Amino acid sequence: MTDVALKSRLDKRPIQEPTPWDQLKTNKNWLGLWFMLPAAAILILFLAYPLGLGVWLSFTDAKIGRSGEFIGLENYEWLQGDSTFLLSVFNTMLYTTVASVIKFAVGLYLALLLNERLPFKAILRAVVLIPFIVPTVLSAIAFWWIYDAQFSIISWTLKEMGLITANIDFLGDPWNARWSTIFANIWRGVPFVAITLLAGLQTVSPSLYEAATIDGATPWQRFRFITYPLLTPIIAVVMTFSVLFTFTDFQLIWVMTRGGPVNATHLMATLSYQRAIIGGSLGEGAAISTAMIPFLLAAIMVSWFGLQRRKWQQGGEND
Amino acid sequence: MTDLTRRTLVKGGTALGAAAALSGPALLDWAKAWAQASPWKPEKGAKLSMLRWKYFVQSEDDAFVKLIDAFTKATGVPVQIARESYEDVQPKASVAANTGTGPDIFWGLYSLPHLFPQKCVDMTDVADYLGKKYGGWVDSAVKYGKSGNKWIAVPICYSGALINYRLEASKKAGFSKFPDKTDAMLEYAKAMKAQGTPGGMALGHASGDGNTWVHWALWAHGGQTVDANDKVIINSPETVKALEFAKALYDNSIPGTASWNDGSNNKAFLAKEVYWTNNGISIYVAAQNSAKDVAADMDHAYFPIGPVGKVTELHLMYPALAMTYTKNPQACKALIAFMLEADNFNPWLQSAKGYLTHCLNAYDKNPIWTADPKTTPYRDVAKRSLTAGGLGSVGEKAATAIADFIVVDMFANYATGRENAKGAIAIAERQLKRIYR
Amino acid sequence: MTDVLAEKAARPQRALADTSAADHSEGMSYLNSLPRRLVTLYLPLGIIMAVLLFPFYWMALTSVKPDEQLLDFDVYSPFWTWNPTFKHIYKLLFETEYPIWLWNTMLIATCATALSIFASVLAAYAIVRLRYRGAQWVGGAIFLAYLVPPSILFIPLSTVVFQYGLFDTPFALILTYPTILIPFSTWLLMGYFKTIPFELEECALIDGASRWQILVKIVLPLAVPGLISAFIFCFTLCWNEFIYALTFISSTQYKTVPVAIVTALVDGDVYRWGSLMAGAMIGSLPLVILYAFFVEHYVSAMTGAVKE
Repeated sequence: MTDVALKSRLDKRPIQEPTPWDQLKTNKNWLGLWFMLPAAAILILFLAYPLGLGVWLSFTDAKIGRSGEFIGLENYEWLQGDSTFLLSVFNTMLYTTVASVIKFAVGLYLALLLNERLPFKAILRAVVLIPFIVPTVLSAIAFWWIYDAQFSIISWTLKEMGLITANIDFLGDPWNARWSTIFANIWRGVPFVAITLLAGLQTVSPSLYEAATIDGATPWQRFRFITYPLLTPIIAVVMTFSVLFTFTDFQLIWVMTRGGPVNATHLMATLSYQRAIIGGSLGEGAAISTAMIPFLLAAIMVSWFGLQRRKWQQGGEND
Repeated sequence: MTDLTRRTLVKGGTALGAAAALSGPALLDWAKAWAQASPWKPEKGAKLSMLRWKYFVQSEDDAFVKLIDAFTKATGVPVQIARESYEDVQPKASVAANTGTGPDIFWGLYSLPHLFPQKCVDMTDVADYLGKKYGGWVDSAVKYGKSGNKWIAVPICYSGALINYRLEASKKAGFSKFPDKTDAMLEYAKAMKAQGTPGGMALGHASGDGNTWVHWALWAHGGQTVDANDKVIINSPETVKALEFAKALYDNSIPGTASWNDGSNNKAFLAKEVYWTNNGISIYVAAQNSAKDVAADMDHAYFPIGPVGKVTELHLMYPALAMTYTKNPQACKALIAFMLEADNFNPWLQSAKGYLTHCLNAYDKNPIWTADPKTTPYRDVAKRSLTAGGLGSVGEKAATAIADFIVVDMFANYATGRENAKGAIAIAERQLKRIYR
Repeated sequence: MTDVLAEKAARPQRALADTSAADHSEGMSYLNSLPRRLVTLYLPLGIIMAVLLFPFYWMALTSVKPDEQLLDFDVYSPFWTWNPTFKHIYKLLFETEYPIWLWNTMLIATCATALSIFASVLAAYAIVRLRYRGAQWVGGAIFLAYLVPPSILFIPLSTVVFQYGLFDTPFALILTYPTILIPFSTWLLMGYFKTIPFELEECALIDGASRWQILVKIVLPLAVPGLISAFIFCFTLCWNEFIYALTFISSTQYKTVPVAIVTALVDGDVYRWGSLMAGAMIGSLPLVILYAFFVEHYVSAMTGAVKE
């Protein structure tokens, strides 16, 4: 395309001597290289190389600070029969599925609500985002205290209301702990989904709704046949991110339960930290992280197709 | 900045019975004289950095800072102290040992020096000097401190994990003292739960409170993770008995112990939610400050004796080691020896209020152990303690097994009903076999 | 939500005068009656807001409650305190190394963000405007890098950080954070650069300006909103990062707030909830203030993260 543009430009300005242009043409790739260098250096040294190294490490028995021997698939074979690992896979699936579905539902609902005509709209929108702004660890500490086994404010309130007789053991019972951590994750993730979908909603032209209403469409039909289809691409992308970051979550779990009780809340990420950094078996930890990569690829495929639909790679197209 | 406030605190505040302790200029004179006479002369221009575990009783740390200051003034060697929660000292030390950079001295937990024995400075001269001077080392400390016939670390102290219980509620349940046999302990737990004053012990990933009691329960019934040759022998009828005992205890405890970390029982005990548990003396110390009624109505007891008929307690040992990469090995030795000299160690023990227990027999006479009879049980924890790994070696394998919470998880799996005894043991056995391969 | 809609769908004959949560065309809101809006809009919105904000209230309250009231719900109402104390905050600021951690966090976040933005500006400009051979592929690859989460990378990265000799220095974080930030900000800036008319550059090129001059004198001033968005977003991400900071830093004096607060305010087995909460609150404040000023940029950055 540049050639075409150049041709037309050259036609327009025949007086221009061609040398600087030629130079630019030959230089363009060089120039591009120089411009790309800082970003590429960082990404290759600290992202691409470690990513490959991680896969390699998973085939060794490396310990902290001690490079290991190549042991083939031994780590994976060990993990296959390791009930804690299998449990962490189950937890990760559960955590991701439940949290993502609810985040999507509540986020979409909140986006629709915020899209209504409201007083103090701007302030409301700003406030909604706060859980997303505050560092996860710090809000996780707050949740930790809210969920405390003996001094939980939730337990106390329910007791005062006469709904329960004993404290709820939020983080001590395996299933309670799972739901509690999932709730904290949803709490943190909803604003992101809501605000992003809201941005998408604002691009939907009101005239569509007016036309539909005149044709006698019910609110549900309006949502089903106008809002939802127009939002689909952005939903695909938002949910890809949401699923990906939920799947690889570490902070919330680490601060609140460290994977307890009885490993009931270990996600693959926390288990790999536990085994690699605390237990010192880098190889095994790397194998657990590497096992996450297939899921990662699946998420990337989804978002890629979501993006393709909007032709973003082509660099044009904006709503 | 922080030191200033700390030191003023120490000066102005707790002068409890530290009559024997030197202070101010006298301490400094003694320290200078010590530095003159000491066989270890710090290198010229030496600087030390030290990583220690994060204190449980603040006054202990204040005393520690004070003696480090005295060392600096006497020898001119500045010492930088960093603190980490005690389960994090081990990974940091492993990293430092392998990268060859980091703090010169690590003061960590259990068998830390045995994770990298060849990276530890030989401390035999320091250990012998101290042992001769102060009535010898207790047995378990020797086992932790020596690798082969060389001392690779100096055992500084123990931190006892004993039963903490409330008196009035126990009397009401028909027990004037905490029971000293495991069967009676079950009865006690039942009776306490029945009258609405339950207790409980951590089954979550609590490095201190969880590990100490589950290892006691396992050993008390004759179970062992490995034998003397490091062969895994966890799968035994004795282990099943221990599991059943723990489940019965769990069923008669306050709900939620499966999620407890090291802090949970302190909080619950002080808030009068829990009436018996296992812990260091930190609950009692905190109670004296913030809940005097609880302090007056509580006492400490040794763990009950199980079917094996002998003491099977596990307490937390804190060894200090110097890394071979240090540029100032003499300064490290001087500092560690200095820490354990009577003029420093006695006031330090006192300021720890019973949280720390000595490994050198001479310190049995420290007034802290008799001033308040409620602290007396903690005097003997070093003598009573077995070593991590049970019958097996104290080394990397035992340390890994403890760090991975294998035994804690086995008990928790069974007590919470997630696994039957066979399944819980099988999981633990599989992990142990991998560690001990 | 669905049951509201289902209930609506059951009465289609009133569709025209009907309003619902799903009706979000502002143009027609005059059709709504107030009571209905109360139930379908304000009530759910109020509930969601309360749930979203309660933890912060709890954080703030805990950090000013006296200790004896913290653990005693029977005597004192847990939801309020009449005698707030600044003891916890004082303790945090003057008796721990909290100010140092705050400073570390600031420093690391600032450096990592500056580095990332510098690299991203160059990369984004090259991809969008230089259109060198393979630029599109590189753009795609950078987007893919955005999808590689830290929790997969931290183990190999820790060995890499050892190899490069960066372990336990602020550089370990300053150089690794950009891997999270560059893909995102490059993507964001590409979108902004595309909106700048190409003609401006053409004229400058013909006048003999170099690419570098064009970038500095023409493109960047026009892309300021984009730069601010990228900056805010990167800064927030740095501040929020936990797993690298936990793994690569071991000395207390280099720690960042999120990591230090979890270990430092726990005395062995005693949790100082008051100071913990104060630490969490003060640690969040810089971001909240920054965000309050640039909320629009932040939102556009966030949506840019998925849109552009």
